[in-house]
Amino acid sequence: MSLPRRLLALAAVAVCVAVVIAYQADRPAAATPNPVVFVPSPGFYKNFSPSVRATLADVYWLQTIQYYGEHVKTDHRLDSLPAMVRLVTSLSPHFTEAYFFGAFSMIDVGRPATAYALLQQGYRANPRDWRFPFYLGFFAYTYASGAHKDAVAAQWYADAARLPGRPEFVPRLAAELAMKGSAKQTAIDLWTQVYCQGDKYARQKAVTALDGLLPTDKVARERAVARLEPAVPRALFAQFVADLFQGYK
Amino acid sequence: MRVAAVALNTFRETIRDRILGVIILFALAMIVASLWLASISLGQEDRMIKDFGLAAISVFGLIVAAFVAASLVRKEVEKRTVFIIFSKPVSRSEFIWGKFLGLAATMLTVLTGMTVFLFALAWVVAGSPSGSLLLAGLLVFLQLLVVMAMTMLFSTMTSAILASVWGICVYAAGQLSHNVLSLSRLGHSEVTHVLSTAVFFVVPNLSAVDLRAAVVGEAGHGTTLLAWCAYLVAYLVIALFAATWIFARKEF
Amino acid sequence: MRAAVTSAQAPGREHDVTLTADRPTTTRMLEIAGLHKTVAVGFRRRKVDILKGVDLEVHDGDVFGLLGPNGAGKTTTLKVVLGLMRPTSGNVALGVAGLSELGYLPENPYFYDYLTGTEFLRFCGRLFSMDARERERRIAAILADVGLQSAAGVQLRKYSKGMLQRIGIAQALINEPRFVLLDEPMTGLDPIGRVEVKEIIQRLHERGTTVLFNSHVLSDVAALCTRIAIMRDGRVIWQGTVDDALASSPAGDLESFFMQVVRS
Repeated sequence: MSLPRRLLALAAVAVCVAVVIAYQADRPAAATPNPVVFVPSPGFYKNFSPSVRATLADVYWLQTIQYYGEHVKTDHRLDSLPAMVRLVTSLSPHFTEAYFFGAFSMIDVGRPATAYALLQQGYRANPRDWRFPFYLGFFAYTYASGAHKDAVAAQWYADAARLPGRPEFVPRLAAELAMKGSAKQTAIDLWTQVYCQGDKYARQKAVTALDGLLPTDKVARERAVARLEPAVPRALFAQFVADLFQGYK
Repeated sequence: MRVAAVALNTFRETIRDRILGVIILFALAMIVASLWLASISLGQEDRMIKDFGLAAISVFGLIVAAFVAASLVRKEVEKRTVFIIFSKPVSRSEFIWGKFLGLAATMLTVLTGMTVFLFALAWVVAGSPSGSLLLAGLLVFLQLLVVMAMTMLFSTMTSAILASVWGICVYAAGQLSHNVLSLSRLGHSEVTHVLSTAVFFVVPNLSAVDLRAAVVGEAGHGTTLLAWCAYLVAYLVIALFAATWIFARKEF
Repeated sequence: MRAAVTSAQAPGREHDVTLTADRPTTTRMLEIAGLHKTVAVGFRRRKVDILKGVDLEVHDGDVFGLLGPNGAGKTTTLKVVLGLMRPTSGNVALGVAGLSELGYLPENPYFYDYLTGTEFLRFCGRLFSMDARERERRIAAILADVGLQSAAGVQLRKYSKGMLQRIGIAQALINEPRFVLLDEPMTGLDPIGRVEVKEIIQRLHERGTTVLFNSHVLSDVAALCTRIAIMRDGRVIWQGTVDDALASSPAGDLESFFMQVVRS
C-alpha cells in the first residue's frame, strides 16, 4: 500500500476511534436513572429448574443492589425495589439477606408497612430463622402504632426466642416487652427462660423482673412457681425457688 | 483393547488441542469475577462464587461437549484419518465408543480442574469447604455425557455446526423436561398430549436431580441419584448405538 | 482364496472383510470380478457409475501398479477392497485372513496433529491388538526402515510432507502385512524421498510382501512393478506384466504404451 493510502486508512481508523470514545464518554452524564424499571413477574420463571432459578436470583440480586445504589442517594425513590426483592426471593426463597436488605431499604424510604410484609413473607419461607421474627418484633415495636403494638412485638420476640441459634438477649427482650404490654403470663414464662439459660447477670435480672410479676402472697406465689416447674431444669429448680422466695419465711 | 486405543488417542488429541486453555480461561475469569463480585454483592460473595461458578462450569462444559463432540467424527471423515483407522481391523462401533470414551475422559479432566478450583476458591472466600459443590460438579459431568452422546449422534447425520446447535438445544430441552410433562397434561387436544408425551420420553431428562440449587441453600429436588444415573447411562447407550448404526452405513 | 466381500452388503453389516482363517492355497492375493460401484450424488441423488465392471488379478508376491487417468476409479477400487465402500455388485476375494494382514497408505494422508510419530505408531499397533513388547520392537524397526528415528518424538503437525508420507508408510507396515496397498505413495515427495520410498517397496518385494500401488509416475512403475493394470472410465482396459507392456510399446517405454492404451 502506498504512503498516502496508508495515511488515509490510519486517518479513517483514528476518526472512528474518536467517534466511539466520544459517544461512550457522553453516555454516563446524559443517563438519567429511572426509579421505575421493568421487573419480570416471578411467575414467568416458576417452571424453570431450581438451579436456574437460583442463578437468576443472583443476577437479579446484583441488579437490585445497583438499583438501590443509584437511587438511595439521588432521588431517594425505590419504587421498583419491592418488586425486585420479591422477584429475587420468589426465585430463591432461602436467600434471607435479600429480605433483610429489602426491609431495611424500605425503612430508608419511609415504607415500614412494605418492610413488614416482606419480612413476613421471608418468615413463611424460612420458619427456622430466628432473625425474621426478631426483626418483625423490632419493626412492630418501632414503627407500628396502636395500643397493642408492644404485645405484638412481644409475641414476635417470643417466637424468635423459641428458635435455635438466637442470641441470649432475645428472650429477655421478649419478656420485657410482654411485661410492658401487660401480657403478664407471657412475661413470667419468658423471664423464667432467661433465668434457665442466662448467666449470673441474666439470672439476677430475671429474678428482679419475676419478683415484680409474681404474686406477693406467699401461697399464691408458691402456686405460680409450681406451675413453672416443668419449664425449669431439675438441677436448677431448687435455686430458682430459693431466689424467688428470698425474704419470705 | 481397540476401543481403549481409540479412546486414548482421542483423549490425547483433544487435551493437546489446547482444551486445557479452557480451564485456565475459566480460572482467570473466576478470579476476576470473585474480586468484582465481592465488591458489589453486599456480603453475598460466598453464594455468588458458588452459584456463578457452577453456572460457568455448566456453560464452559456445554461448549466443550457440544463443539468438540460434533467435530470428533466429522473431523476424522473430513481429514480422512478414517482411512487409516478402518483399513485396520476396527469396527464402526469400536470407533464410535472409543471416540466417546476418549472425549468423556477429556471432559472429566476439564470439569475436575474447574470444579476443584472453584471448590478451593469458595473455601478461601467462605472459610469452610463445601462438599456439595463437588457433588454438583459430578452431576454436571453426567448431564454433559448425555449431551456429548446426542451430539455425536447428530454429527453422524449432519454438519458439525448443526450438530453442535442441536446438542445445545438438547441440553436446554433437557432442563425443561418437567415442563413438557406439565404441558402434556394441560392440553385439551389429544394430539398435543401424544406429541408432548413423545417429546417427554425422547428428550433426556437432565433436571430430574438438581443439586446446584442446594449448594446455595435452596431446596434441590430429585429422584434417587442412582436411579437417575442409571437412566442417563441407558440413554447415552441408546444414543451411541444409534450413532453406530448410522455410521456403519456410511461410505468414505 | 477365500470368500470375501460379495455383492451389496445387507444393511447393518460391519465393513470387515469376511474371510476365514485358513492359509491361502493359491497364488492370487487379490481377485476382483465384475466389480460395479454406483453412487448417488447431488440433491436429486443422481446415480453415477464409478466402477463399471472391474476385473483384476494380483498375484502373491507381485509389485502391482494400478494406473489410469484421474477419475478412472483406482482409489475407489482400493476402497472397495478395503471395505471402506460397499460394492454395488461383483466379487472381491483377498488372499489374506483379514484386515490384520493388510497395510494401507491413503493418498495425501492426514494424521493426528498433536500426536508424535511414536505415539501415532503405538496407536496403530494397538488397533492391531499387538502385544506391547512386539509393538515397541516393530515401531523401532519401522522407524529405522523409513528413516524417522530422530523425528519420532516430534508432533506430526511439525512434519514435512515427505516425513508425513514416510510415517504413513510406517503405519501401513507396522503389522508386517502380507499385502500392502499404497495410494500414490510418491505424491509430494522430493527426489530423495521418492528414492527412499522406492527402496522400501523393493525391500518389501524381496521379503515376499505383495504390493499394489497407484501412481502417475510411470518411470517409477516401470522400475518397480512386476505387473500392471490400466484403468479408464471405471474399467480395467489392460493388465499384464511390465515386460509385455514394454514389448507392445511403440517407443519401448511405459509412457507411450500407456498413452496408446488409454487413447484407444
